Amino acid sequence: MKKAEAVNGMKILTGNKAAAYGALLCRPDVISAYPVTPQTPAIEQLYDFSAQGLLDAELIDVEGETSAIGTLIGASAAGARTFTSTSGAGLAFMYDGYLFAAGCRLPIVMTIVNREQASPNIVATGQQDSILMKDQGWIQIYVENNQEILDTIIMAYRLAEDEEILLPVNVCYEGFYLSHMSQRVEVPRWKAVDDFLLPLKNMNREILSIDEPKAFSTYVGQPELYTEYRYKHHIAFERTKKKFDHIDAEFERQFGRKYGGQIEAYRIDDAEIVIVLMGSSAGTGKVVIDEKRAEGLKVGLVKIRLFRPFPWQRLAEVFKNKKAIGVIDRNVCQPWGCGHVHFECKAVLNNMRAQIPLVGIIAGLCGADITKNHISDLIRITCCASSGQDHAEVTWSDLQE
Amino acid sequence: MKREKKGFLKDYKSKDVLSFLTGEDVISPGTALCPGCTSELALRFALKIFGKNTCLFTAPSCGSLMTVGDGINASMKVPSALCLMTNVPSMMSGAKRYFNRLGKNINCVAFVGDGTTADVGFQPLSGAAERGEEIIYICNDNEGYMNTGIQRSGTTPLYAWTFTSPVGKGWMGKAKVSKNLPLIMLMHGIAYVATASMAFPKDFAEKVSKAKAVRGGMSYIHMINPCPTGWRSRPELSIELSRLLVETNYFPLWEAEGGRIRMTKAIETPKPIEAFTRLQGRFEHMDKIGLKKFQEEVDNRYEQLIHLSKFHKISQPEDHANEK
Repeated sequence: MKKAEAVNGMKILTGNKAAAYGALLCRPDVISAYPVTPQTPAIEQLYDFSAQGLLDAELIDVEGETSAIGTLIGASAAGARTFTSTSGAGLAFMYDGYLFAAGCRLPIVMTIVNREQASPNIVATGQQDSILMKDQGWIQIYVENNQEILDTIIMAYRLAEDEEILLPVNVCYEGFYLSHMSQRVEVPRWKAVDDFLLPLKNMNREILSIDEPKAFSTYVGQPELYTEYRYKHHIAFERTKKKFDHIDAEFERQFGRKYGGQIEAYRIDDAEIVIVLMGSSAGTGKVVIDEKRAEGLKVGLVKIRLFRPFPWQRLAEVFKNKKAIGVIDRNVCQPWGCGHVHFECKAVLNNMRAQIPLVGIIAGLCGADITKNHISDLIRITCCASSGQDHAEVTWSDLQE
Repeated sequence: MKREKKGFLKDYKSKDVLSFLTGEDVISPGTALCPGCTSELALRFALKIFGKNTCLFTAPSCGSLMTVGDGINASMKVPSALCLMTNVPSMMSGAKRYFNRLGKNINCVAFVGDGTTADVGFQPLSGAAERGEEIIYICNDNEGYMNTGIQRSGTTPLYAWTFTSPVGKGWMGKAKVSKNLPLIMLMHGIAYVATASMAFPKDFAEKVSKAKAVRGGMSYIHMINPCPTGWRSRPELSIELSRLLVETNYFPLWEAEGGRIRMTKAIETPKPIEAFTRLQGRFEHMDKIGLKKFQEEVDNRYEQLIHLSKFHKISQPEDHANEK
């Protein structure tokens, strides 16, 4: 083994490499992944770490994603810390195991390098792949930049393996935009990560135990028992929200960086209108907010980090007394013609019994840029809505016609 | 460079074989299987040999009816996982690798049906075989999707009736021959492959003991267990059918250690296939032409096997344990 100190420091890393560093630092026991663009450089990096003697993990070279998740289910049930990564069609091919892992409450951490789903066939970003999995029982976290990818993977293990949570976690970042783009990333000291994960050290998650034989994932004939499982899953989801805020605060104490937990609120205190973004576009969004603020417009931004479970309580706090809300989605909620975040925000406003106008833009599909213009457009439409002027509820940008 | 020669089976102890008579039965008495199902017998025998240091993996199938129990009532004294049909060998790989990492030598044993093995779960099986995972895979082949109510699978034989290979206008049972799974697995170059039938319990016990002793590679045991429900045969004839499988050369008993085939039960004068088919309702519709074709298929496969058994080695399994 090389000296652990060789790893840390300020580096220029792509999102995929940052993810690989994040996984490396958490010392997973078993890693299993199948190559799929745009995830591949992350996996190559992990094999490279292994070849350098830095990564001490079982690497299982599976023949497909269904086996990638399968091996991790087996390993995790035996008590191992596990890691995998996938994209687009690979995630779809994982579907049965993806559900199974959530139902078994196995704390697997998986990055999803977002890619549009076929068909038409496309190798470009879009959040549709992970968004389609939103209701399958995994925790889903979306991130904005490469540093956040690395940091969130570390937080993801704290969340997944917490004995009050025990749920699998997705860390989702956009393919190419983040996966292949280089940014400055501070790789923390290994010792600091070990310390941060120390609370997980003595948790016994061994289900497949010779000393205490149990049947794992049995048939459940009784509806009451099945319903009980589902309800407990829901309760764990509810606990996840505050736990994630708490982990974020602890992360700041250990590493000096914070992300706001479930959501990041940017310049919202005196804002009259708020825009909601999720993923890499939040970075562009903050620049536009600063510009509009300079022009005297009272506008703020919310970045959704925790998408599943949906942080509706914290959003309701932000939305309270605002004049209008605007959303940009890099995904489509097909039958409603809006984005998924848009649709979720509708539910939040309904829960609040608030008559606050909500508008949305669908942008950035198939790897299209979400530019400052898109965000300015959104703010303009949101302003129209706040002052009662005519406006479309949803605008699809980048259409051919 | 001098390379130390290490056999996969260097830990094999022949005295283990007899533990099928004396070992502790780890399955609770009484199972939900049909009368005359020999798979219960097979699993009880096998687990007596594997012992309590075993983790069992099944998929939704007949086999899982006895392994995982229902609700909070488990029926095994060893840990058992009910996997998906599509990830049994993968789940085993993950668990086994982690057990080995902890320095625990635990037998990871699959007991799953032919649908999982030959059809929907074949990809992960092939992947695990290619990787040489140290797992023990027993295919409980009853020649069809019997747990879902008798549909044809990749191992349903030619002409056999099932609900999805019916007999009637344009139909004469299954139109295609079955996949020759033991040979397919042998061609993957795994450490140990064997066929087994419950009419020859000592032979089965020896093979299970060898599979248990394999280190650094995969073992695969293919057994055909007659299904009175799906084969439309009488429950009391299941052992007789298990014997006829072998005596007709329909399912010869052999094993391959490190890629070399050895016949374990010589049949001096094979019985005609009709001796096997006439006891089963699923072949009731077969006429003389059908029987002749079926016999040809049986003879052809047997000849192929004998031919292959003359090779010194037909695959070169690598001792994966020494890779790292």
